[in-house]
Amino acid sequence: MMGNNRRKLSMVGLALVVTLLAAACSSNKNSGTTNQGGAGTAQKGGVYRTALSDFGFTGGFDPTGEYLGLAWDMFSTMARTLVSYKFVAGADGNKLNPDLATDLPTPTDNGLTYTFKLKPNLKFSPPVNRAITSKDIEYAFERINAKPLVAQYGFYYYGVIKGMDGNATAPAPISGIETPNDSTIVFHLTKPTGDFLYRLALPATAPVPQEVGKCATKAGDYGRYIISSGPYMFQGLDKLTVSSCAAIKPVAGFDPTKKMYLVRNPNWDAASDSLRHAYVDGIKIDVDSNVDDIFNKVQSGALDGSLGDQPPKTILRQYLTDQNKKKYLHVDSGDRTWYVFLNTTTPPFDDLHVRKAANYVMDKAAIAQAWGGSTSGQVATHIMPPTVLSDQLGADFDPYGSPDHTGDVAKAMAEMKQSKYDTNKDGKCDAPACRGLVMVNRNVAPWTDTEPVVVTSLAKIGIQVKPRELARGAAYQTTQTIKNQIPVGLNAGWGKDYPDAFSFAGSIFSSADLVATGNPNYAMIGTTPAQVKDFGIKVPPGWVAPTVDSDIDNCQKIPATDPTRVTCWAALDKKLMNEIVPWVPYLWANVTTLTAPSVTHYEFDQFSAEPSLVNIAVNNKEKLGS
Amino acid sequence: MWRYILRRLMWVIVVLLVITLITFVIFFVMPSVDPAVAFAGRQPTPEIVAEVKRQFGLDHPVWEQYLLFVRHLFLGDRYGWPGLGFSFASRSAIKPELFSRFLITAQLAVGAALVWLSIGIPIGVASAVRRRSLLDRAAMAFALFFVSMPVFLLGLLALWLLWFKWHLTPGTGYISVGTNFGSWLGHMILPWFVLAMLFAAFYARMTRGNLIETMAQDYIRTARVKGLPEWKVILKHGLRASLTPVVTMFGMDLGSLFGTAVVTESVFNLQGMGQWAIISVFAGDIPTVLAVVSVTAVAIALCNLIVDVLYAYLDPRVRYS
Repeated sequence: MMGNNRRKLSMVGLALVVTLLAAACSSNKNSGTTNQGGAGTAQKGGVYRTALSDFGFTGGFDPTGEYLGLAWDMFSTMARTLVSYKFVAGADGNKLNPDLATDLPTPTDNGLTYTFKLKPNLKFSPPVNRAITSKDIEYAFERINAKPLVAQYGFYYYGVIKGMDGNATAPAPISGIETPNDSTIVFHLTKPTGDFLYRLALPATAPVPQEVGKCATKAGDYGRYIISSGPYMFQGLDKLTVSSCAAIKPVAGFDPTKKMYLVRNPNWDAASDSLRHAYVDGIKIDVDSNVDDIFNKVQSGALDGSLGDQPPKTILRQYLTDQNKKKYLHVDSGDRTWYVFLNTTTPPFDDLHVRKAANYVMDKAAIAQAWGGSTSGQVATHIMPPTVLSDQLGADFDPYGSPDHTGDVAKAMAEMKQSKYDTNKDGKCDAPACRGLVMVNRNVAPWTDTEPVVVTSLAKIGIQVKPRELARGAAYQTTQTIKNQIPVGLNAGWGKDYPDAFSFAGSIFSSADLVATGNPNYAMIGTTPAQVKDFGIKVPPGWVAPTVDSDIDNCQKIPATDPTRVTCWAALDKKLMNEIVPWVPYLWANVTTLTAPSVTHYEFDQFSAEPSLVNIAVNNKEKLGS
Repeated sequence: MWRYILRRLMWVIVVLLVITLITFVIFFVMPSVDPAVAFAGRQPTPEIVAEVKRQFGLDHPVWEQYLLFVRHLFLGDRYGWPGLGFSFASRSAIKPELFSRFLITAQLAVGAALVWLSIGIPIGVASAVRRRSLLDRAAMAFALFFVSMPVFLLGLLALWLLWFKWHLTPGTGYISVGTNFGSWLGHMILPWFVLAMLFAAFYARMTRGNLIETMAQDYIRTARVKGLPEWKVILKHGLRASLTPVVTMFGMDLGSLFGTAVVTESVFNLQGMGQWAIISVFAGDIPTVLAVVSVTAVAIALCNLIVDVLYAYLDPRVRYS
């Protein structure tokens, strides 16, 4: 009896295992939508369905303050600016075009005055339903200037536009902005600012109707009911009551913890907007904390594409190796550089030869492999990604090149021999300052995978580092606090704010960028003796900070429309790599997006470095009610 | 009995204060990241950080921040009562969001509880009554398997098989009852079962063990001798007595689910309190973390109170006087 029972149990167990194995080995068929393949021309209609693990907004999605690239992608759907981009990939996607303005003006008064005329038939979405005027654009700048509204990148305008210093207690007229009539706006600058047009393409400058904006009195408030000037608006925005501030409530289509649903703005005039095709009738962005689930849904067709999250390696491998899936894998340049920073105030990195040696010895090929191979990006050979320099300086400029980017120990040691920290001239850093250096890193992959490569590479020239792994936010705060004087860090990357090299060089290599906390100039380039005293840091005797302040100022004077501006920045990049050496740049990162066959036209927005929500097309039959 | 309940409710307040104080110290006194800096953008100048601190109320001394928090919690704030403040991340009041997420978590918790009670107790009873039979062995194998299986792995496996491969269930996400009852049920069944299996396994083992012990008691023999049907002997006399520890565990388990079903909520993308708490921890959204911790503490304390009151009905020997 007992034997019979045991046998029965075994048979049941075996049947169960066989069933599970059979299911696991069977192929998956797509479900859900009617998919007609990824080929074919773009067509109007359908709803683009996507998901991400977390919006990650730091400014409540208020255009005045929100400083997140992903948010800027979403703003492209609802916040038109005087000038903007085509929201396409590559160099063309980094070129400025008129958007609300009729054309790109050339500055007058020796580069101090910019005059814009607005296109006709520009209208705000419901419930405001009126023409967009120059005063609405001026009001956006008033909001940037108001301290309580915390314009996180207000520094691009303070001290640049006359009358803007970021200290206003509430939105108020700005002396440097004139609106002689409803369709003209004039900016008066304090100094020639060659990239001013690029700064006017940032979402904070999008028009805001004052009758609604005045109700948003603190940072982030306006983000819940943005009145659209673009082809899309929040679902439910037409039902918003704006008769009084008390009546205004967050709209149903946007919950920063759950979703963002966008429907067509009935007041958007397609004839006035050559930059946005707006193929789809709606956009559904859901928050899904399970990243694997997001990509499973893309594979199954329940979602049309990914957004913001990188695909897990197992799924990425499927798309790389399966010829049928490869066409749905999109890899685009992210206009971002990942790097190891070298703090020039701390030994041994105060010595230029040591910094050069670190560049020679670094095994960048191994780092790129740790990041996921060629899809993750291209080995970086200098500071600024080629696309930011309009491809004027590519990967062929490689001052510390080595065979296959694996590092050149011989050249590194030859460089190190010239350093004062190589006391016996054996090509290795042997002074006490070369040992026990704290290296801050993030505590997640791929940074943790990169760490052993960096540690080993530096060890070849006698530099011994002690890695300290921290969560992303903690890593940044630690390295951005100047007083900590972190000598070397692996946690940081830098992406452009706009496709002008000032958003690289000017933001992170000038003495004006140095602040006691929140400092992005990790290498401390341009530090003045007064700043050394103010920050309370110790520097080696006789230390003088390398500086490129005058180079930055010179390039800044050249207008954005002058092609020599890019040449100037390219020259600065060369100087930074040859004479200053603040970093070991190792990767120009890509952005990887997976789409479903329902996407008939995929486009990448080079400005925000995300899929272009305004130029993507699908063939699903989904609908999104208003 | 009423005095007992009142006394216990007073202790709920004490527990709430202790737990919120500990949470406050962890997140406000020992943070790895200054929350003001985390929400000041990628170039947080001192001016921006100072303004963010002011708007978030972080410019007060820590002890003052805690007292303000307690005051708002009990007396309400500009968003109503209880005063849970606003989320640093969404810049909106926490209360309405917490309420909507509480409902989702409650649906998950209560549904899973019903499932695990419906599965665990009958299996435990059957197993105890038919000891050493094939049924008993199968039941204990079931229990061992699901006790050992991590919830996240079970959830991911279930999703992969039942949705991705076999298309038997809808995918992840939450559809409200009001939108479509069928879709709601379809989306909740898998999370209910995944969450319930671990508890069902525990409850099956516990019920079996307790019932075996109870069925060996003299009064059970007496009940049989009196001629009662076997099912009455088992269910009315045996099971009732053996359920006391099960009820204890049920109260704690149900209460704790209100804040700790985070794994199930994350795997199935159910936007409940647990998932929100985790996102908020990583984002540095401290008011949200405090709010979820407070609600969870109250939920656990109240569930335990309800359980203790139920004792008096289950076991006539227990009197709260």
